[in-house]
Amino acid sequence: MLNLIRKELSLCMHPTAFIFLFFAVLVFVPNYPYEVIFFFSCLSVFFCCMMTRENGDIAFSCALPVKKEHIPLAKMLVVFGLQGIILLLVGIIGAVKGAVLPTEQYVNQAGISANLALVGNGAVLLGVFNLIFFPRYFKSPDKIGVPFVIGAVVVFLLIGVFIVLRWATPLYSVTLNGLNSQNVGAKAVAMIIGIAIYVILSSISSQLSMRHFQRVDV
Amino acid sequence: MNALEVKELMKVYPEFTLDKIGFCVPQGHIVGLIGRNGAGKSTAIKGILRLIAAEGDVSVFGKNIDENEMAVKQMIGYVGGGFRYYPMNTLVSIRKAYAPFYPAWDQGKYERLLAQFDLSERKKVKELSEGMKVKFALALALSHGAKLLIMDEPTSGLDPLSREEFCDIVLQLVREDGVSVLFSTHITSDLMRIADDIVYISQGKLLAACPLKELLGKYRLARFCSLADATAAKAIGVKAVKEGYEGLLPRDMQISANVAVSDATIDNIIVHLEKANEEERHAKFN
Repeated sequence: MLNLIRKELSLCMHPTAFIFLFFAVLVFVPNYPYEVIFFFSCLSVFFCCMMTRENGDIAFSCALPVKKEHIPLAKMLVVFGLQGIILLLVGIIGAVKGAVLPTEQYVNQAGISANLALVGNGAVLLGVFNLIFFPRYFKSPDKIGVPFVIGAVVVFLLIGVFIVLRWATPLYSVTLNGLNSQNVGAKAVAMIIGIAIYVILSSISSQLSMRHFQRVDV
Repeated sequence: MNALEVKELMKVYPEFTLDKIGFCVPQGHIVGLIGRNGAGKSTAIKGILRLIAAEGDVSVFGKNIDENEMAVKQMIGYVGGGFRYYPMNTLVSIRKAYAPFYPAWDQGKYERLLAQFDLSERKKVKELSEGMKVKFALALALSHGAKLLIMDEPTSGLDPLSREEFCDIVLQLVREDGVSVLFSTHITSDLMRIADDIVYISQGKLLAACPLKELLGKYRLARFCSLADATAAKAIGVKAVKEGYEGLLPRDMQISANVAVSDATIDNIIVHLEKANEEERHAKFN
């Protein structure tokens, strides 16, 4: 598995997979729907899958002495790693923003502030994307467009839901909004729930993808 | 022990069926897998390597591939035509990703092969000619101690000189390293030069699996003045040629004096057997 992951990193990663990690600094943009940062992470998955196809990587990998189901798993583990990094970066850079900017500039008028609850929201978005995209993609790895469009539409709808919640519910507009230092317990719980959802959805996605890929004819 | 044993390999597509083919590659032999385009050669190879979900038993040096997939794949060097992967990557980056999968990787042998093939690791795959791509694929396949080479049309797209060079390399591998080889091709001159045995597939069905000499000795090419003569002689796959008609006759058949016969080449055998198959299919539909 480690060899497959190393191969993924050295031969299959599109530069955007790493470049888009730096988009975590978008939390410094005032009044911006910060959940969009996580969409860029989804977009980089699309580019990596394109690269996989253009490089004939699936056929190459299947001829290697590896179990067939490990091929999708390795690709997904790399993506999960990158998603973990963007969640971490958003959390850290959001905290830095809270420490260096005055409170009135920290509060986001376009969505939830860059705090721990945002990390939870991001985890839910990425988990949902993983569940939608990967099982469809690994059914037919030559067809990337349709799974990505479906995944992207659902992600944007969810972003819309999070923005509506920010304005429509006290939980999101008051309790989970603003600096981490305010209602830190609630924000931490929101983040943990988000991450738990991410782990569950991504695990289901991995199982389905591995099962679907077994039936793929290279 | 056979290097490769294939039993009842079957793959069903909506418009094509690879129909329970079986054959073996004896250790140290070069076996040519032949058939026209779309006959099922690549499907058979993919089925053997489990690149597609196919039914049937495949054993390599006595080990079943489904039960020992990892161990069996360690023994196989697969060359899918030229090296069509990662065109933008350098050979060194591909080798670095590839070698760790094989505990028996021999870096010294790899470097010797690169030197022998005049390949530079600094080059990108897209900068290699078709012949160079085949050589790179061979270098990768041979450097992990593969005992069985499986190649899917490795010589298609190569010029005659490169094909000759490829044949020399394969012969050298078999003689010096005891490697066994299965390779598909429709370039019959390559077969005549290096193959010991032939596996002939037509329309997904196995038509012959035997030593090359046995197949060549099975038929003679007969030339007839008229179609009536050819039909009367029960020639196989009769077709019009520049001067009269040609067809195959079994070698042990009594031949009348007015029929000119000569030794059949692989090309002759394939052309006339395919023609006979085609006629049979038409007859069934009509």
